[in-house]
Amino acid sequence: MLRECWSKLCRILTGRRGLASDLSAEIDAHLEFEVRENIALGMPADEARAAARRHIGNLTRIHERAAEAWSFPSLESIAQDLRYGLRGIRRSPGFSLVVVLTLALGIGANTAIFSVVNAVLLRPLPYPAAERLVWLGESDPKAEGISVTWVNFQHWRNENHSFEDMAGFRAAHLTLTGRGEPLLTRAGLVTHGFFGLVGAQPVLGRFFSASDDLPGAVPTAVLDYRFWIGKLGADPAVVGATLALDGKPYEVIGVLAPGLHFFPQSIDYYLPLHEFEGEVVDRARHGSMRLLARLKPGVTLASALADLDLIMQRLAQSDPGPETQHRAAGAFLTEYTTGDVRPTLLILLAAAGLVLILACANVASLALARATARSREIAIRAAIGAGRKRLVRQLLTENLLLAALGGVAGGLLAQWASGALIAAGPRDIPRLADTSFDWRVLSFAAVITMLTGLLTGIAAVITAGRRDLASALKDSARSGTGRGGQRSRSVLVVAQIAITLVLAFAAGSLLRNLVVAQTADPGFVPENVLALELVLPSASYKSPQAVGGFYDQLERDLHGLPGVTSVGAVRCPPSVGDCGDWFYSILGRPAPQPSDVPIALFNTADRDYFGAMRIPLREGRTFGDGDRAGTPLVAIVNETFARKWWPAESAVGHRVKWGGPYRDGPIYQIVGVAGNVSQMGLGTEPYPEVYLPFSQSPDRAMVVMIRAGGDASSLAPAVRRRVTAIDGNLPIESLRPFTATVAASLSQRRFSTLLLALFAGLAMALAAVGIYGLLNYWVRVREGEIAIRMALGAPRPSILRWAGWQALRLSLLGALIGMLGSWPASRFMEDLVFGVSHDFATLAAGGLVVVAIAMIAAAIPVWRATHVDAVNKLHRA
Amino acid sequence: MSTVDDPRERLEFLQGTLEVLILRSLQPGPNHAYGISQFLERQSGDEFLVDNGSLYPALQRLLQRAWIAAQWKTSPHGRRARYYRLTPAGRKQLLAATSRWQRFVEAMGRILATEG
Repeated sequence: MLRECWSKLCRILTGRRGLASDLSAEIDAHLEFEVRENIALGMPADEARAAARRHIGNLTRIHERAAEAWSFPSLESIAQDLRYGLRGIRRSPGFSLVVVLTLALGIGANTAIFSVVNAVLLRPLPYPAAERLVWLGESDPKAEGISVTWVNFQHWRNENHSFEDMAGFRAAHLTLTGRGEPLLTRAGLVTHGFFGLVGAQPVLGRFFSASDDLPGAVPTAVLDYRFWIGKLGADPAVVGATLALDGKPYEVIGVLAPGLHFFPQSIDYYLPLHEFEGEVVDRARHGSMRLLARLKPGVTLASALADLDLIMQRLAQSDPGPETQHRAAGAFLTEYTTGDVRPTLLILLAAAGLVLILACANVASLALARATARSREIAIRAAIGAGRKRLVRQLLTENLLLAALGGVAGGLLAQWASGALIAAGPRDIPRLADTSFDWRVLSFAAVITMLTGLLTGIAAVITAGRRDLASALKDSARSGTGRGGQRSRSVLVVAQIAITLVLAFAAGSLLRNLVVAQTADPGFVPENVLALELVLPSASYKSPQAVGGFYDQLERDLHGLPGVTSVGAVRCPPSVGDCGDWFYSILGRPAPQPSDVPIALFNTADRDYFGAMRIPLREGRTFGDGDRAGTPLVAIVNETFARKWWPAESAVGHRVKWGGPYRDGPIYQIVGVAGNVSQMGLGTEPYPEVYLPFSQSPDRAMVVMIRAGGDASSLAPAVRRRVTAIDGNLPIESLRPFTATVAASLSQRRFSTLLLALFAGLAMALAAVGIYGLLNYWVRVREGEIAIRMALGAPRPSILRWAGWQALRLSLLGALIGMLGSWPASRFMEDLVFGVSHDFATLAAGGLVVVAIAMIAAAIPVWRATHVDAVNKLHRA
Repeated sequence: MSTVDDPRERLEFLQGTLEVLILRSLQPGPNHAYGISQFLERQSGDEFLVDNGSLYPALQRLLQRAWIAAQWKTSPHGRRARYYRLTPAGRKQLLAATSRWQRFVEAMGRILATEG
């Protein structure tokens, strides 16, 4: 074997030309011997030569096979197939261009979406043993993922048998003073195990150790790399220096290496969580801490949670309280961080996959048409001795080659498209910006390219194989009709229309959903409002009076600005989500079971907030100057809350207890009912909400709403000046038109809707091309038939009906199948995307649009059918 | 595989046997391709039909394995032809193949001759 290869190699290296001439000479000699022998047997010279010639057999074949013995057969014939394939592509550039472009669209769309899926969902998180990292919270019978209390955390950490390590984390805003301008900074509050869990390294100094988490430890801080570079000038002597954060000194002990993005927001520095929560002794006292933990190898998440539940059950007995029912909840970190976008991306990937199938169907359909036209060529090849296997291989090679070209074009397209996706994508998709073309994306593209090539190639092979030689040779003399191919293409077109309808319906549902969300009355008027977000540092605003005083003065000053019509403040503005829900109970109603205590959103608003946002008051009064510290506690509830408890009577005058019947909490008298606002984002279900007056429960973090008579954004510089005039040390968290905030709440939905609509449009275009091509072909094949009909006196309208019916039949059948398929598809979407509802109107509209587009695409060929030049055609025939 | 129309059905070579037979045909001395095919047909009592489409590739394979060597020489009739001769490796191969074949034939014969 080795010897053989060596001989072959030597032959190739020394040039193989010799073989051909050697062989020819040898065969000449062979003939000569045979002729001579025949003559010797008594044949005449002519006959002797003919007999010898007959006897030696097919000379070409002898040559080929002898040469083959010297070649590496598969490699060489592949090279030959490639040459033939390229020749075929060059010979029909129009066909090839259409195929390559179609495949480029399909492959490009899929690769682009996959590159995002890869970055966001598939690529492992950049932490050591990330597959064992889990996110932990508490759960009660009504909610999962509640924050873990400091006391429970200590027990979990010390008593579990399932985790290698466990750390608490939460984010906080602190004001940095004493280093130039006061700065609102973001802190990651963590316990000492955190850095080990995320595998971070210090570039300077050290990280927290267990001693930093002990009571009485000196407050320490670890700086983020960017903060150290950007805000502290990369001072190498920073370790040992002191930062004043919210007026409290922290000793810098280290600087973190760049590249840690564990928190969704960018973090300026890390502080020991113990500084903020360490003194808590009440097991039911919640902050907003969640836990990061790494499972021991081989331990499942379920058994680890069961382990923690056991601890919680023990605690429920030894330290009973309002939360004896609380248990542990957890999810793998990969799933937790991508939970929101996973369904959206999977739907988009599915949609892109459907587009690719459509593209394949188009290419297969084109290939079928071409195979019919080519059957003569193939028949000739078979007749002159091409083996069947070889022909199949060559057809496949040609299609693979086309697919490869499409794949390359698609890859380029995808590279451009994924750049556009990153730029256009909403900011809240984690790791979207990390999208890149790594080996996974490239192999994905390669695999789908191969698959499309094989798929379309197999279609060509099947048609080629079906035709027997003789009929192909005879048939194609009169531009073959190929009814079989026609039927296969009809099936493809029907499938295309069906798939297009499914996509159109999905896109339509999302679009309708988005339009409903955008046009629904949000319950407030966001236009002409400037939102000023402030967080007063606790160090300089210690007392509630100081906080109240600041906002009172600020609102007075802002009200004095020219153009400002009203100013009001709220802790949690509409459409941005909730700022915490909490248990409550209604006084005078029977106490619910501990597991059934109702929950409402608790918000804080001041006297003028409802007026400034144009939130209508349905009953009672708004907050007034009489609601002060010391006067009876009051609250305003929203309509949903009021209707839930008092569907028939007024809510005003009833009393709400904060914390529910099983905990201590203040009691508020309801003085008014405000209209619902879409608190969790536009178009979301209203949720029971309770507003507390700012004057009775002031908060340092408020959003001041400044309503102007006209465009509010021009007020921004004046607003800034007023804030600085009152407190020169106060950083402004954000200042922007409130419409921008509202629009941002829809950005992710808008993004996915736009993409899906794009895919649906792409699908429609492909299906239109598909049905156009099919009918065009149908008409071309029947030109003779049409000419005869017309010659026999068939009027144009009847030809129109005949051809039009072909198109309509296919599109209606496709639409029907599409409708049947849309229903399960929409149920699937409903499960995955919140708020998507399927309705028949959208489906019917989608069906109409798809059929209409199919008919428009069919119009040109149908028109051509009615304008067949009967005289000419018949003459030629 | 026949390239000639022949009323009488002749035997085709079993896979791989043609090469051994070529080696055997060269045992008496060097020969050219036509001579080899004549030798085989004659020696087989015209049972075998040598297909040139198989003969030439087989010769190439034997050359590759260095069991035969080729040389242009003038034939006794004055025609230049390519003569093949056995190499020492070819001789060894022929011996091995012959004894393997005899064992094979004996085994086949024993089985086919078994009664019942």
